[in-house]
Amino acid sequence: MTTETIDTAAQPVPSSQALVALFRSPSGAVGLAIVGILVLCAIFAPYLAPHDPLRMASGPRLDSPSLAHWMGTDQLGRDVLSRVIYGSRLTLMIGTIAVGISLTAGLLLGLVAGYASGWAERILMRIVDVLFSFTEIVIALACIAILGVGLVNAMIAIGIASIPFYARVTHSIVLVEKNKPYFESAVAAGAGHLRLIFIHLLPNVIPTLIVIGTLGVSTAVLAAAGLSFLGLGAQPPQPEWGFMLSSSRDLIARAPWMMVFPGLAIAITVLGFNLLGDGVREVLDPRQRAR
Amino acid sequence: MLKFLVQRLLAALVTIWVATILVTILIHLVPGDPVRIMYSGFQTTDAQIEEIRTRLGLDQPIYIQYFMYLGRVLHGDLGDSIVGAQPVLDTLLQRFPATLLLTVTSLSIAVVVGGSLGFFAAYRRGTVWDFGAMTLAIAGVSMPHFWLGLILLFLFSMYLGWIPVGGGGWLSLILPTMTLGLANAAVLARLTRSAMIDIFDQDFVRTAHAKGLPKALVLYRHALRSGLVPIVAMLGLQFAYLMGGAIVIENVFAWNGVGRLAIQAVFARDYPLIQGFILFFATVVALASVVIDLLYAWLDPRIRYGQ
Amino acid sequence: MSETLLDVQGLTVAFGFGPGRNMAVDGLSFSLSPGETLAIVGESGSGKSVSSLALLGLLPRQGATIERGTAHFHGRDLLQMSDAERRKVRGNRIAMIFQEPMTSLTPVLRIGLQLTEGLVEHAGMSQKEAADKAREMLRLVDLDDPPRRMRQFPHELSGGMRQRVMIAMAMAMEPDILIADEPTTALDVTVQAQILDLMRDLQARFGTAIILITHDMGVVAEMADRVVVMNNGVKVEQGDVKTLFASPQDPYTRRLLAAVPRLGRLAESQGPRQVVAEPSPVGETVLRAEGLCKTFAGRGGLFSRGIGTLAMSDVSFELRAGETLALVGESGSGKSTSGRAVLRLIDVDEGRIDLQGVNLRMLGRSALRKARRGMQMVFQDPFASLNPRMRVGRLVAEPMLIHAIASGSELEDRVAALLVRVGMEADHMRRYPHEFSGGQRQRLCIARALGVGPKVIVADEPTSALDVSVQAQVLELMLELQQSLGLAYLFISHDMAVVEEVAHRVAVMRQGRIVEMGPRRDVLNSPRHPYTAALLAAVPKADPTATRGKLPTLDLGTLPMGALQEVEPGHWVAT
Repeated sequence: MTTETIDTAAQPVPSSQALVALFRSPSGAVGLAIVGILVLCAIFAPYLAPHDPLRMASGPRLDSPSLAHWMGTDQLGRDVLSRVIYGSRLTLMIGTIAVGISLTAGLLLGLVAGYASGWAERILMRIVDVLFSFTEIVIALACIAILGVGLVNAMIAIGIASIPFYARVTHSIVLVEKNKPYFESAVAAGAGHLRLIFIHLLPNVIPTLIVIGTLGVSTAVLAAAGLSFLGLGAQPPQPEWGFMLSSSRDLIARAPWMMVFPGLAIAITVLGFNLLGDGVREVLDPRQRAR
Repeated sequence: MLKFLVQRLLAALVTIWVATILVTILIHLVPGDPVRIMYSGFQTTDAQIEEIRTRLGLDQPIYIQYFMYLGRVLHGDLGDSIVGAQPVLDTLLQRFPATLLLTVTSLSIAVVVGGSLGFFAAYRRGTVWDFGAMTLAIAGVSMPHFWLGLILLFLFSMYLGWIPVGGGGWLSLILPTMTLGLANAAVLARLTRSAMIDIFDQDFVRTAHAKGLPKALVLYRHALRSGLVPIVAMLGLQFAYLMGGAIVIENVFAWNGVGRLAIQAVFARDYPLIQGFILFFATVVALASVVIDLLYAWLDPRIRYGQ
Repeated sequence: MSETLLDVQGLTVAFGFGPGRNMAVDGLSFSLSPGETLAIVGESGSGKSVSSLALLGLLPRQGATIERGTAHFHGRDLLQMSDAERRKVRGNRIAMIFQEPMTSLTPVLRIGLQLTEGLVEHAGMSQKEAADKAREMLRLVDLDDPPRRMRQFPHELSGGMRQRVMIAMAMAMEPDILIADEPTTALDVTVQAQILDLMRDLQARFGTAIILITHDMGVVAEMADRVVVMNNGVKVEQGDVKTLFASPQDPYTRRLLAAVPRLGRLAESQGPRQVVAEPSPVGETVLRAEGLCKTFAGRGGLFSRGIGTLAMSDVSFELRAGETLALVGESGSGKSTSGRAVLRLIDVDEGRIDLQGVNLRMLGRSALRKARRGMQMVFQDPFASLNPRMRVGRLVAEPMLIHAIASGSELEDRVAALLVRVGMEADHMRRYPHEFSGGQRQRLCIARALGVGPKVIVADEPTSALDVSVQAQVLELMLELQQSLGLAYLFISHDMAVVEEVAHRVAVMRQGRIVEMGPRRDVLNSPRHPYTAALLAAVPKADPTATRGKLPTLDLGTLPMGALQEVEPGHWVAT
């Protein structure tokens, strides 16, 4: 079979071009914009928020949105807008640190298991598969049961809960790459373990992991909001969006607008990271483009 | 096919077995004294604490504990819940049917709505319909499902008053299943679209067209039927996610399933119940996966009729 | 003069939009008469497939545009028809079969259904009538036990059998034209010969005209009455097959014909063509394999072992400096496994491997790594053989770096020298593999292998994935390197014509065993084993005047597959 078509699948993209390409893709551009606004919100929260998010009675209680308080006030008189803005800090922190934990640990696990092969791989991946089948929520609950409630604990719990996912993705990529001729060629050249893992396997794993990691931030944000909603994550008076939603549940009859803004904030953030992830995928992994 | 199913069943059993090990280890990861933490809400003397410790076998070396636990589990004894003062297994079994009903109904909604949307988007790939469907899907995926639940609760219970809040009966099933089902439908829509696009690009679809068959025939008999295989393969995972999602949704709608129970247990540090719940959850998911694998094996002639 | 069945004028197909769009087919015109075989020949990117897909309306909706052209068939213009009208023609009056039989049948539907649905659709037959006709077609394509085949699924059939099913499907409506797009390229050469014979028989029976799209000049010579040669979307020459082969007019056609390896060209000479002034003579033994056996473990489940696959059984051979030993065989013969085994890329179950006197199987891990300096490998797939994320310079330098042969600027100089040696340029170092074509990438692989100064290079189908014109250049390079550096090649291939060009000695393998081994001239000109004879007879000759007789029927049951016996000095045959 003769195929002279140039292989567009695995082209490395120099980082300068990558950013430009990201802007060109519609999802990437919108995603970048949303995430950008979020980051700015988080950094400049003290300047953007009109009130102190923790200050009670900065306005009448359960006031509907007005000119003084664009998003209204909550049951303790705190300004919802300010709380939403400050909440972006917590959200970003949780999202990125949780993903950082899972990605690093999962990457190492998958890399080692995939390279090792033999019984070590089988045992490791069997344990990973079992943990994966527990689903992230259950693992997170188990971690909270061990560590106790709280935002930091929730962050750690989510970080640990996603490790099996990243380990499995890494492992499956390693399996594919290990079977490609270039890997065999490196073995034939006499390459040792470290060179094979870090110079040949790792660079071919990282692009997919960047995509998965970006999308993973949205999963982590949703999970954190969920745990806080259940009361297991953020504790009062932290202005965390999920926690704000849980308070709104009891007030749904009296102050229906309370559930709009935190939920919207979560949704837009998650949407932003999802779009960014799709955009990054188009740039780094055109073969797996979402088409 | 038999060999495939036996393999899957064995894998499920191994999963459950590993779960028992992990669950036993769980208690020992708690910083501090687990017994005191468990009974922190009660007034107990030191002697009572030690008696409980011995009863639970927590003073034994860990491997002996494990075999004790395993022995009890095989006899159906998952311990006693501290809060409910009732055998854990009984409590779980009482509440499980509610969760199962919620999960299965939601999965059905997700498959029908999400599958159709994804299939339609793949068929009309690149057009405005595709774009619209996928925009809808990505919005659905980004929305926290408990938020969607709150919105639907407000809309249909409070504002429109069509559905009573809480209570039992069929009517109260609607909102939770709609919430969970639609949230998952968005996920399934994206996955289905991706799977179907892969199928449409396959050589055998081109062959079917080359035979001059009507488009609808190629679509349903060749493409869809082939696409069912990878899509069903995904459903096992989706079932697990739905079970997990049920935990949160049950809290939104005060639905009395095992999920709500689990959260209460975590708050109360009711470790026997937590352990029992995790084991129970893992078992249900593992067995459900076997059932779905059965369907998958039946659909794929390469497995059904062997190599 | 017979009337024209199909008249194509000025067909132009473009991919993409705007001035930079890709003109896949530009102004193609040809005609087809009833019952004749027209071959459309070209290398990849020539537009040969696209033109046929365009005629039938099978081009992808997005991105492909038929800009102009007419295609008159039975008084109507195919390109002007509506989708519904064209659908009535497809699979009915004009049928098409494709290259990959393994993926061209729907895996979840039974063969019977896939055969009958076309008949039900076009001929309005009932299920029963269609089933009868389908069984008849299966008999016509020489498939045994048609009722059983009807109930089977595609995965239960081999590649050759699936292609027969495809042909049965295509011919069921007795179409006026059969378009065959590389129908035998993915098949073993013996199976290829059978399929081509089958197509000719059916053509004679039904009077179907065939448009045969291919890159293989041997197939063209065997099958075609007339030929159209395409290059980069444009027709460069057309004519009667005998005239075209005898006196090609266009320079591209001449280059194409000259590059095709033809079995028999070097029949008289002892070894490969001499390409350097003073070639290194064949020297001492550098590689010796004795009694290699390897069985791959079966995919058993948790408890059962599963049936293993026998990949190598008692494989023994010797390789001397400056010579090429070719391992020839069809798929599943064990030739690739043998190549990997001698490099210890896979571990054999039994046997001995000596590289320059050192027993490779005895070496520990780090000693083995050091020993790898002496042996390198060039792989088949030029696209996957180079790490896409590393620059070419680093890739070529890597083996030297690993073995600490050079570093820093000296290393860079060596890399530059190697690149030039293989016909590339020094400043290609900074580029990435995907910026190069297949032939260039293969040169890069060779450069990478050369750096450490190996004595043996195992080349696993190094040119199979390349276009014919590029293939010739890479082979030339390999010959030149061998003759100036005294390299020994273990050359694995399924292509007898290529083997004739490069090999000093040949070993023929089947089902994991060597069935014949000896000097190239002896094995290829007077084979002693029936399997070798069959392989050679099946190779299509690029000479339209020489008709290949019917294939010698191979009785697979009585093939001698035992131990090797020396029938002549240096010539061994299985007993």
